[in-house]
Amino acid sequence: MTPTPAIPPLEAYLIVSVLLFAIGLTAVLVRRNAIAVLMGVELMLNAANLNFVAFWRYGGAQRMEGQVFALVIITLAAAEAALALAIILSVYRRFRTVNVDQVDLMKG
Amino acid sequence: MIEALHSGSFWYPLAFIIFALGAVVPAVLVVASRNIIHSALWLLASLASIAGLYLLLNAELLAALQILVYCGGIMLLFLFAIMLTPGVGDPDVRVHNQGLFWGLLAALALAAVSLHLLREEDWSVVPAANLRDVTGRLADALVGQYALAFEAASVILLVAMIGAIVIVRTEPRE
Repeated sequence: MTPTPAIPPLEAYLIVSVLLFAIGLTAVLVRRNAIAVLMGVELMLNAANLNFVAFWRYGGAQRMEGQVFALVIITLAAAEAALALAIILSVYRRFRTVNVDQVDLMKG
Repeated sequence: MIEALHSGSFWYPLAFIIFALGAVVPAVLVVASRNIIHSALWLLASLASIAGLYLLLNAELLAALQILVYCGGIMLLFLFAIMLTPGVGDPDVRVHNQGLFWGLLAALALAAVSLHLLREEDWSVVPAANLRDVTGRLADALVGQYALAFEAASVILLVAMIGAIVIVRTEPRE
């Protein structure tokens, strides 16, 4: 079976990944709410995952490293989200706010 | 259905375009929404579309896990945290911080540089046809060659769970 030219090139997946990463970075840099910042981090992790899976698929798909990487990243993202949201709740109890620019005790 | 998608009909590029737009457009709305609950729901749409992209890439197990873990677990955590904290959709509250201009500039610069580098390379690789038993081989790799990463992930999950409980625990009153 010869692959048909109708299948999108690897570049198409990489462009989607770049756009997702840039949007996630925007959320991290410009949003005030710490939960929205965390959403940006999740978007960036997903962009990296999409890259891993796309390179796995287009790189021969014989070895499974790409998918193993993506699986471990999903696991770590779950752990990270649980911990970060716990920290956000803890910060809210102490400062009565979740806006990252108002939690500035260590600012000189 | 996946075989039909991979047989080179026009459905594959169409599905790719739908899922790619479904991943990128809601992601923009995550950043732009004033209401943080709307942001969370747009994030849900974006993550579900990425699961669709995984399906197109023959990563069926990852697509299922993406739905289960992200659209199920992580999204639930986000909604809980949003409801336990204030400032949902208050029109008087600024949603963007002081660094709006520089943040946008940095993200645009990153996207421009990355896309420029992408265009300079030759990516004309052709994906292997007739993938067989991807999930089975992934399982073999996970409990065989990469058993250490598998075990480490379980330890990390346990530590994160205990850590989250300790962090949000309220101090017993004297």
